[in-house]
Parts: sequence; structure tokens; C-alpha cells
Amino acid sequence: MNGYAGTILRVDLTNGKLKEDKLDPSFARQYIGGVGFVVRMYLDELAGKTDIDPLGPDNPFVLMTGPLTGQKLDGAARWVCGSRSPLTGVWADCNVGGFFGAYLKFAGYDGIVITGASRTPVLLRIEEGTARLEDASRYWGMDTYETSDALAEESRGGGRGKDRVFTIGPAGENLVRFASIVNDKGHLAGRAGLGAVWGAKKLKAITAFGSGKPDIAHPERLSALKGELKEAYESSIYIDAIHSFGTATYMDVGVIGGDIPMKNWKLSEWEGFDDLGPLVYEEKLLAGRKTCYGCSVACKREAEVLQGPYAFPKGPGPEYETLASFGTLCLNRDIEAVGKANDLCNRYGMDTISLGATVAFSMECFEAGFLSLEDTGGIDLSWGNADALVKLVDQTGKREGFGRRLAEGSLRLSGELGEETRQFLTTVKGLEAPMHDPRCYHSFALAYATSSRGACHTQSPVFPVESGGLYFPDIPGLAGESEGMDSHGKAALVALCQDFGAFFTGSAVFCNLGASPVTALQAVEAVNAVTGFDYTLDEVIQLGRRIWYLQRSLSCVFGASGADDALPARLLSPLEEGPSAGSVPDMELMLKEYYTLRDFDPQGRPSPEVLKELGLSDVISLIQP
Amino acid sequence: MGLFKDAETFDTMLGGFFLRVAETPEVADKLLDSKLTIRFIYSDPEVVLFIDCSGDRVEVRSGDTDTKAEVEMTMSADIAHKFWFGKVNLTAALTRGQMKAKGPVPKILKLLPAIKPTYTMYPAYLEEKGYGEYNIY
Ligand code: SF4
Repeated sequence: MNGYAGTILRVDLTNGKLKEDKLDPSFARQYIGGVGFVVRMYLDELAGKTDIDPLGPDNPFVLMTGPLTGQKLDGAARWVCGSRSPLTGVWADCNVGGFFGAYLKFAGYDGIVITGASRTPVLLRIEEGTARLEDASRYWGMDTYETSDALAEESRGGGRGKDRVFTIGPAGENLVRFASIVNDKGHLAGRAGLGAVWGAKKLKAITAFGSGKPDIAHPERLSALKGELKEAYESSIYIDAIHSFGTATYMDVGVIGGDIPMKNWKLSEWEGFDDLGPLVYEEKLLAGRKTCYGCSVACKREAEVLQGPYAFPKGPGPEYETLASFGTLCLNRDIEAVGKANDLCNRYGMDTISLGATVAFSMECFEAGFLSLEDTGGIDLSWGNADALVKLVDQTGKREGFGRRLAEGSLRLSGELGEETRQFLTTVKGLEAPMHDPRCYHSFALAYATSSRGACHTQSPVFPVESGGLYFPDIPGLAGESEGMDSHGKAALVALCQDFGAFFTGSAVFCNLGASPVTALQAVEAVNAVTGFDYTLDEVIQLGRRIWYLQRSLSCVFGASGADDALPARLLSPLEEGPSAGSVPDMELMLKEYYTLRDFDPQGRPSPEVLKELGLSDVISLIQP
Repeated sequence: MGLFKDAETFDTMLGGFFLRVAETPEVADKLLDSKLTIRFIYSDPEVVLFIDCSGDRVEVRSGDTDTKAEVEMTMSADIAHKFWFGKVNLTAALTRGQMKAKGPVPKILKLLPAIKPTYTMYPAYLEEKGYGEYNIY
């Protein structure tokens, strides 16, 4: 089947049974791949059950590649997994890079649907069209690096390449609510705690290896497109920048407009900032460069610190989000401590955004007297205390000491500490906001509020479109100029980004960074050339729209309502200084326009009419009382 | 029609600002560390400014189209003006072709932290030199 392996693997962890389903070509055409497959299959798997425990056996976990995964194409190595989040309680999907998705497809599978739960640790081995569950007791307790090394090592020999490993670490096993799943040490299904879903299922790892390449419908069209794109990539300064400095480049670019949150979002300027920029990164951390399958952009960094209190061996280095969450957000100017905290998070398998935000929240609670040294086990949570930060990361992964409380995330911690600490929260639907300030780009405010998984900058391309990394001149609604600190017209911009993004970022699956030079029409052509489908740009926006409504509906199924489409007070408090001083997104205006555009009722549910029009009648009874 | 009606005003105004920057050790020292030579090619109105950081002091030369520059940046005068207020979305300007750069991108990016203090210097300079009407932010 052109562009697809043609088979979906189903794994029931409760009874240990595996089953293969053929991928229906008409399903593939309607749902494209990636998140389109994930949400539809997840919803079908629920079979009407809505009251499920995210950490219980009834919560399915779905992992799907896209039609381009496994193609040697820049910025197209990605794939998606999703489930109900133990952190937020609502729907969560994660977009992942690396090599695992490509090798899963080469092994003959477009994706995996996992149900049930095992009583003892298991791992799923996938190799050249076969899959089997194995006892994983000996890996349980290992960190993600040890597990990846052990499994990759075992697979060597016989003249073939190593297995690609997707695994949880101790944080997932310990049900840390923001535990991640880690592919080949540095590519994470990072946010919203999907690692804890695996931990609860006692699923330690999946390995994949294969050598089959999916057929391409029109190889000549694909190579013509690659030729066209070659020039665009070579002349793209954006690509050159992320190739040269990785996402850390954004430290110097984002600060100009005031997009980088500091001191738990109370500042956008701070003198310690310069110690965390890409030049200091190069000097103190950089140890190499890495990439995802088939991508020449190679934006990934390797880092190491050879000596001192924050020494760690060479491994995947911190991204921009981590430099900000463990750096500026906590007023920690020690980049080596950021590197160490990142290394620990990778090893334990934890989301650096949620943990950094929860530490910053705790630092503010400590300053305001809501937390004492007694509460923290003697750890001084003063702003900028790098030792405390690293110690807390370690404790959280192990669920020890004060880390036990951090492991619940900032919203639950605030619940324990009292109503007055809510003012320090930065969560939407329970998910800590990423490191982009909605006071600087008002569209982010609406995107955070209405994303099905909570405050998120990757689920749709609103962030790169508004901040400039992605430009789609061939989509009229996205071709114009947009004033960041203005709320007018943002509802339409956000809705269109979400619809197109559900195709582009979600289902195709392009990388929001590495696919920067790709136009919308070129994206459609890439998918058509590979699959043989004849999508038009209008059609993929419509299909994306349907997929987006499915994501939204899943969060409604799990109890999200209109009241949850809101930003915390901290993100709506004007800054006194800096480039965005005084700017506050007009949530009332944007949400009013957005609800009308989306045809939502006041509870934030899509109307039966819009769901019918999109061919999603089966969802109506799940979300309407 | 852009903000600037004639080349002379823009040339004197921005060239003067670059000279001010060249005399500010906090910024100039970092520029000199880069050893970079940059030609700014502005349109509407057409002005060329050459910044030479290869010696022991930063030189600003107006209209130098002959000396070989390591980096060439092309943009409209309006975008340049906005940039020095810190008001240009740099990523968008580059991806949308409003700013074009020729030369080693990493070297250009390395200058960003160095020039950060200039965003506050620019409006003050405009007021001081009688260009208040252009102080638009
Ligand atoms: S740009 Fe970076 S994250 Fe995106 S596919 Fe390429 S290497 Fe991976």
C-alpha cells in the first residue's frame, strides 16, 4: 500500500494476545495518518466507555506513523501517540521525532493499538513483520539510557542494524504524572504523562527493527519535489540557524520580542539571561549534533559536562524549552545545571516543561511562605538555586522526598497548598504552559486555551506561524501580516492553524521546525506523491478540521468544558517592563469569536450540527448529555 | 511609499546611530570580537551602509559598495528602522523575505546578544538628534 506499511498491530496486555489488522485504504485516505489515525482508533477502542481511569487497563494507548514517516525527506520523520492523560485527565497526543517511527514502518506496521494492562513488566519486540511480548523484569528499574543501550546491544549481530527503542524510565514506572516515553534517549513523547500510562500498564519498552520500505506511488514526483525543496532549504536562514545552534537559537531571537518567560512568568528581561544563550551553550555544553531519520536539518544537540558538581556524560542536550524552563523560569543562570537537569529528565523519562514549571511554582510558593524548609526536606527553594533544582529533578524521578509532591504536577500541588497559591499557577487544563508568552503573541493565548491537551505550543502550528518560523503564502488566511500584541482576528488565525495543522503537523506528519521551507501546496504534493491520493489543499484542511474536532471531542468526553478554555491569571497579568509591557490578550473577544467560528455551545462542546456536517455523528451521543 | 522621504535623511540618521553604537564599548567590543564586515543594502530609499569590525575600531562607511563584505543584509529602510527599536519579528522577516542575508548565518546570529542594548539606545538617539518624528514606538 503506497506510503503505508498496510498493517496495524493490536496488543492486549491483559491476556498477552497480539493481532494484526489490515489498514483499510479508505480509512487511510480519510484520516491520513499520525494523529488522525490515533484519535479515530482511540475513540473506536473506547467503544462508548467514557469513565475510564487514565492509569487503568481501560485506557488504550495508540501510536501511529504518518504517510511520510520513513521517507528520506527533511522534517518528516515524525509520528504521534496518544491516550488519556494522567496529568490533565483529558485527551493528550504527543508528536515525536527520532528513528523509531521509521523503523516501525520498515518492520511492517503503521502503528500499534495497546489495550489492557500486564501484571508484570513486559516489552514488545517488533522485527521484520513479527511481534512478540517478552518479560521485561530485568529492565524494570533501569533508566531510559540503560534500557536503550541494553536492548540495542542485544539486537546487534547477524549483520543488521540495531533495534530502535521507545521506553519509559523510573518516572514512568513510578507514575510521575508528567512522565515521558523516550525514543533512542533524546526524542520524547514528552508532555502530559503518557509515560505513566505505560508504567501503569507495566509496559517498559517497544523495540522496532525492519528493512522493508513502503512503496511510493509516484517516485518521479517525489524526486521532483525534493529537487524543488533543495533550493528552498539551502537558502533558508531559519534552517541554517537551527542547524547551527539548534533550538537554543531561540534564546537570542525570542528575547527581542519578550517571548521568553522568566521568574515564573513575572519578567521577560533579566540580567542572568545571557548565561543561557546559544553561545554559552556552545562553549559549556555542546558535544555534538544529531538528527531524526532522513532529516538533514539536524537540529538536535549532544551535550556533556566533564567535571564539577553538574558533570554528566555525553547525551542528548537541552532544547530551547528546557533552557527556559530550568533556566529563566527559575532564575537559574547556571547552564551546566540546566544540562544536568535535562540529562536526569531524559534518563528518568520526564517532561522538562512541566517539571521546570512546577519547580518555578514551588520557588514562588517558598518565597511567599506557602512552603517551608520543613516541607521541602531542608531544600532551599530560593530563586536561582541550581543545586536545589538538580536535587528536585532527581527526587521527582524517584518519587522521593519533596519530589513525591512535585511528581503530581503544579495544579495538584497548589490544591494541597491552598487557594492562595493558584495565583502562581501557569496551567491550562492542568498542563503547565510551554515557554512562549501569550502576552507577546495573543494568538498563543487562544491556542493554549483551546488546545485539546491544555497549554501546548506544538499541537497546532499557531506558534511557528505567528512567531515566523512557518510561512504558508498559499493559504490566504495565513499569508498576511499579523500583529502579535493584538487580539483582533486571532480567532480565525488560530482555527485555521488548528485545521491545517491537524493535517500538516498532526497527520502528514511534518516537523514544525524542519519543514519550515515547505509550503502548504508542497506538503500536499509530498503526501500525494507518496500515497497516490489526489488530495487538494482545501480537502486536507477539511480533513484536518475533522481530525481537530475529534481531538476536541475526546477532551469533552473526558470532562473538559468551556470553563477550561481559560488562561491562568498569571499569564494574563501585564508585565511592567520589557517588550510586551502592558500587553494582555483579550480572552473574552477571542473566545467569543472562536466559539462562533467553531460552533461550540457555552460548555465548549461542538454542536451536533457541526459534528454531523463533518461526518462525526457517532461522537454526538458521547459529548451531549 | 515608506517612512523616509529621502536617502540623505535615512543615511545620516541610521549612519549616525551606527557611529553611536561604534562608540559604545559595551556593544563595540563584542562587534570587534566578531571581526565581521557587513554591508547593509537598504531600499526605499536606497542607502548602503558598511560596518567594518575587522580592525581595532568599528568603522561605519556610507555608500561603500566596493569593499568585499563577509555578510550582506538586504531590507527596506522601514524594516531596518523598526528593527533597531527591537520591534521586528526577526524570524518572520527572514522567512518572509523581508530581510535577506548572504554570508555565514551563524556569525550573524552571534551578533544578536551583542546588539541587544541598542534597542533602548535607538529611541533615545532619535530624540537627542532631532529625529523625534521618527520615534514611532
Ligand atoms: S528539524 Fe530537528 S526535530 Fe525536526 S525532524 Fe529534523 S532533526 Fe528532527
